[in-house]
Amino acid sequence: MISLSDFNHEHIPQGVAVSVKDLGLTYTTSIDKKPTLKARIKTVGRGKKHTRVVRALNEINVDVHYGTVLGIIGSNGAGKSSLMRVISGIVPPTQGRVEVFGSVSTLLALGVGFNPSMTGRDNVYLGGLAAGMSRDEIDRNFDAIADFSELGEAIDAPMRTYSSGMYARLAFSVAAVVEPDILIIDEALSTGDAKFKEKSLNRIKELRTSDRALILVSHALATIEDICNEVIWLNKGKLMMRGKPSEVIAAYREFVDARKSASSDEDV
Amino acid sequence: MDKPLVVYEPFRAGLPPMRDYLRSLWSRRTFIAEFSRSELREQNYGSVFGQLWLILNPLLLSAVYFLLIYVIGGSSDSTRFGHLTASLFLFYLIANSLTGGVKAITSGQRLILNTSFPRIMLPISATVIALFKFIPTVLVFIVIHAIIGLPYSWQMLWAIPIFVIALLMALGMAILISCINVYFRDISSMLPYLTRSLLYLSPVLYEAANISERIKKAEIANPIFYLLDSWSRVVVHAEAPSRMGIIHAAIWALAIFFIGSYFFLSRERDFAVRL
Ligand SMILES: Nc1ncnc2c1ncn2[C@@H]1O[C@H](COP(=O)(O)OP(=O)(O)OP(=O)(O)O)[C@@H](O)[C@H]1O
Ligand SMILES: [Mg+2]
Repeated sequence: MISLSDFNHEHIPQGVAVSVKDLGLTYTTSIDKKPTLKARIKTVGRGKKHTRVVRALNEINVDVHYGTVLGIIGSNGAGKSSLMRVISGIVPPTQGRVEVFGSVSTLLALGVGFNPSMTGRDNVYLGGLAAGMSRDEIDRNFDAIADFSELGEAIDAPMRTYSSGMYARLAFSVAAVVEPDILIIDEALSTGDAKFKEKSLNRIKELRTSDRALILVSHALATIEDICNEVIWLNKGKLMMRGKPSEVIAAYREFVDARKSASSDEDV
Repeated sequence: MDKPLVVYEPFRAGLPPMRDYLRSLWSRRTFIAEFSRSELREQNYGSVFGQLWLILNPLLLSAVYFLLIYVIGGSSDSTRFGHLTASLFLFYLIANSLTGGVKAITSGQRLILNTSFPRIMLPISATVIALFKFIPTVLVFIVIHAIIGLPYSWQMLWAIPIFVIALLMALGMAILISCINVYFRDISSMLPYLTRSLLYLSPVLYEAANISERIKKAEIANPIFYLLDSWSRVVVHAEAPSRMGIIHAAIWALAIFFIGSYFFLSRERDFAVRL
């Protein structure tokens, strides 16, 4: 269990921030809608399995160095979010090992806003406290977060009244203002409008320093190509390719086009 | 090269490193306070009139049950009313903790899938909320106690250890049931019937002194029977509790707390992939 405030750590630039070795992850979900006692009793003695096993990640090996911006691309269900969950310690791996050398802040898809009936403000506070920040730390950063999100008075409205763009704005603002060693942003860029997108891109560029590692998950290939200096491509839980952004993205585009000739890959 | 700060390895059933876990839990104590506060606020206890409900609720509750025993029992005196309110209020500390706890993990899905923190914070918060609801009822009871003229004595100080046992029991039950509900979701729909049965099996609507010895023996299986009995003896009758009653309650509370926590802590890393 780690938190932003737990460590104050000096890094060697170019040092390893995250090291992922032979990583495998399996989700166990029930075939029925919910794992109920009734369902268990029904299947007892019939040897029928009541769970479905989803292999989300398979033998992934990645090192992320300080000073890099790593882009992660892949189609829906490729395992991108799952990989981020393992790196941030939310889900234990089924196989392999992940070593993290620093404090991680995650902005996984819809990370902030776990309770839609609470206000944006409450959600920022609770999300921050849960992640291990102190009240003072959040107090200090709150205005900056609210400003950056440009939500205005909506910050005190329940989050169920937010549009998905407003949601994403708030989520991104939290991650962008709190300055962790390792920042993971999962698809928070995709729903903002053009102006906010530009603002967040600029912010990411500002955060790109030699003592920080950024991991960016996105379907916006042009953005990835623009700001990342390394890209990995996941497909069905496997690492397909890793390398220079232009090369990996070109290969991915080709792969997608080969499967579906439609223009499925418009930048969002 | 630096040594890794954190290593994530495959999940094995077993306890996490306890010192780190407790430290990380302690560093998040403000979350528990803040979370409970905003949950209460959300349940309409935020406004001034809303906070009035914290007092009105238990009053109305005891009025309704008093009506019930008055109609069924035919008779009633002030001691009986005192017993009813005192027992009902303590019972609701445990029942509220159970109802809050059962969904603590499953409804925290979004937080659990996106943040890493000691999951036990969620059922603990459920118990804290139940405690916040319990405190005003103590004040209500103190007033009732004075109005109906129940006796006072030094023995009433026993209320403190009994309350601590009750709180531990409530916490243990919240932790245990939140964990069970991850694996068997129908517990949450069975819970209203469970708490209802627990209410009828416990000395709330009747006094423990009025039931047969045989049933009393069987009530050893009821974790809260002797707890509530001791509570009523102390705060209503101003007598010392029976030693056996206190020991029974303490053993049950410790057992539920430790078994619940063990299950919870050894499984919690597995929760995220099962939600
Ligand atoms: N909580 C979960 N329980 C069970 N299976 C899950 C869970 N989360 C993800 N999966 C499965 O794991 C696989 C990878 O999902 P993941 O969310 O990592 O994909 P992704 O690459 O982030 O996709 P997207 O681009 O749509 O965000 C999918 O097959 C998905 O069905
Ligand atoms: Mg995803």
